[in-house]
Amino acid sequence: MRQLLSKHTLIFLLVPILALVSSCDPEESKPAPGSLEINFNHLENNDEVVFDEMRYHNAAGNNYEITEIQWFISDLYLITGDGERVALSEEDFAHYIDTNIESTLTWQLPDDIPAGNYAGLAFTFGLKGEKNLQGYFTDAPEANMAWPITLGGQNGGYHYMKLNGFWMNEQQQRTPFNFHLGVGKVEDAGTTNFVQNWFEYIVSSPITVRSNRTTSIELAMNVEEWFQNPNIYDHNVHGAMIMQNQEAMAAGVENGANGGFSVVSISEKNENNQ
Amino acid sequence: MKITSDLKYLIIAVIAVFLVVNLSGCGENPTEMQNQPTPYELPDIPGFPKNLNIPADNPMTVEGVELGRYLFYDGRLAGSSHPDSMMTCATCHVQKNAFEAGIDNPRFPGGKTRGLPSAEYPEGKETPHYMLPLFNLVYNHNGYLWNGWVSEENQKLGSEAYGVPAEEPFNFRNLESLVWMTIEAPHEVNGDIEKSVRMIESIDKYPPMFEKAFGTPEVNIDRMSKAIAQFLRSIVSYNSKFHRYLRQEATLSEAELRGHNLFFSEEADCFHCHGGSILMTTNEYFNNAKDSVFNEERDRFVVTGDPLDIGAYKAPSLLNIELTAPYMHDGRFKNLDEVIDFYSEGLVYSEYVHPLMKNVREGGVQLSDQEKEDLKAFLLALTDHQMVNDPAYSKPSDLP
Ligand code: HEC
Ligand code: HEC
Repeated sequence: MRQLLSKHTLIFLLVPILALVSSCDPEESKPAPGSLEINFNHLENNDEVVFDEMRYHNAAGNNYEITEIQWFISDLYLITGDGERVALSEEDFAHYIDTNIESTLTWQLPDDIPAGNYAGLAFTFGLKGEKNLQGYFTDAPEANMAWPITLGGQNGGYHYMKLNGFWMNEQQQRTPFNFHLGVGKVEDAGTTNFVQNWFEYIVSSPITVRSNRTTSIELAMNVEEWFQNPNIYDHNVHGAMIMQNQEAMAAGVENGANGGFSVVSISEKNENNQ
Repeated sequence: MKITSDLKYLIIAVIAVFLVVNLSGCGENPTEMQNQPTPYELPDIPGFPKNLNIPADNPMTVEGVELGRYLFYDGRLAGSSHPDSMMTCATCHVQKNAFEAGIDNPRFPGGKTRGLPSAEYPEGKETPHYMLPLFNLVYNHNGYLWNGWVSEENQKLGSEAYGVPAEEPFNFRNLESLVWMTIEAPHEVNGDIEKSVRMIESIDKYPPMFEKAFGTPEVNIDRMSKAIAQFLRSIVSYNSKFHRYLRQEATLSEAELRGHNLFFSEEADCFHCHGGSILMTTNEYFNNAKDSVFNEERDRFVVTGDPLDIGAYKAPSLLNIELTAPYMHDGRFKNLDEVIDFYSEGLVYSEYVHPLMKNVREGGVQLSDQEKEDLKAFLLALTDHQMVNDPAYSKPSDLP
């Protein structure tokens, strides 16, 4: 009886111990991971946007002011020197940024980031796949970005961006514009097609992540870029609203994908609290 | 053998620790359970927000919600049992009108509410704003009242004007706050917290109900506020025809569908402010181009100090909108036709207008008569007849 008990006892004890040891082992052979934080900036010609003042001029010659910018970034990767991608933010893969909500301007990624040197990062402007299906976000503020099914096909989805402001129209009246991007609807000879309009953006920039440290990246949206290159975007031509105007959205998207974002600076925080 | 017997002791010790831990966990519950109220489950509605606005110190319970319902409907909340001096939440917040007074209210002509008459206000002091409905409040994290004054961010305590000390629980942070504020405010219940508490505790039915909800029979303003707030959070609206259409349980008529498509188009554009989600509100604040001069003392600006919020108010939920005339914070529109005409051709430019009012320079979204009819048909499909008749939200039959 005593023998029996002891044998079982040993097995009972050994199994969890072995499991513990084996799961600890590989971790110990690698350097401890670091973490990543992204701080979002909104710039006009390299300076921080000053909101609610008619002080900007776009390439088309419109005078304009910016009230608010609300947008989604998703599917972030770090890119290694060999061009390999390290997928990040598996759990928290979409982040909402709102210039009215201070706390959204910082994104602390939940992932452990393998320590090392990276050559840049890639991300999606907007949302794609299942993240851009109606009902994916149930709570404000994200849910308030909903893009109606009537405009975005079966799936609806979300605004990738609302950039709201005013421009001086041809009568020199201060007039609202809503530069909103999301799924475009195109009617062509009786058939309806939907254009996704999200794009991937790659920023080359040496990024170092060290063990037990937080690397902090300042990622800027260069607002003037939405309106200038390669397409001169004129508010007098496109008017106040473009959600049902794929031509205008396509021009904006092409511009944004071409210089719309940049890494302003990279720094390291001393303490990693994780 | 030495090792194994040591191990045996170890095992026994481990088991003992397990037992102690588990038993102590289980052991507490059965004894306490007897006096524990039953947790209240809100319905799990597909697509509704998951993040509920329930303070950690006031979890919803069946007993708490029930007590709250009684207090919400008990006119003695004003501190007196004389029929002429009774007033409570339900005096103004009427279920059949989605908990607004309603434009045909016999006591408040035109839906303009007033506090209880007193020596100082023989006619009763007018409430500064017209009413807001009460439903789906548990899903709102962005401030209560037309200007969002009651919110997590509000650090203020007490009220000098009402003689309420600057201490807890007299805060302005959540639905609980609306109870003490309302009892004191001359333009609402126009009562007195102390008198109200004494009145409620003198009614035989209440102390046992407080005991069931909170563990002891003590009646105080904190518990009264918590109970009523629990009842408010229990009121949810998710059974309009539009909701049932989204759940594929109903179909919209041709006109309703055309109205739906207009509502969610950029041409008419109601969804940016009133929500593309099924709450039919963003709970955000906007200046929606009604005026060019602003001098109202309770707009969003008084809360944020941001000049952009001058003349801005909450874009309320359009659910049950059919039942809640007159419209806007100042009740300027008597029916939905007037509201739709306003958005179609009545907009007024000011430097404070929100850019989402993008047709302001054309005076509105310019709807044809047909489009106006269709839009209205859709708005009428937002009425939740089930909620406004639900006995769980009605006056208990044994109240005076
Ligand atoms: C004299 C009429 C009157 C009485 C009595 C009254 N209310 Fe109200 N209530 C109003 C009006 C008017 C508003 C809108 C006020 C505003 O926002 O400026 C309102 C707003 C509210 C709101 C905010 C809703 C939202 O969506 O932000 C809540 C909650 C509320 N009342 C709860 C209560 C409770 C609880 C009671 C009883 C303790 C009560 N009210 C008694 C008239 C009344
Ligand atoms: C720029 C944001 C915005 C847009 C766009 C907008 N609304 Fe509103 N709406 C508001 C605000 C803010 C209020 C409350 C204003 C007030 O009380 O002063 C309101 C009030 C209302 C009310 C009255 C609510 C009540 O309980 O009194 C109705 C009805 C309404 N809107 C319908 C519509 C319809 C229909 C459309 C589309 C044609 C629309 N709104 C577009 C912001 C907006």
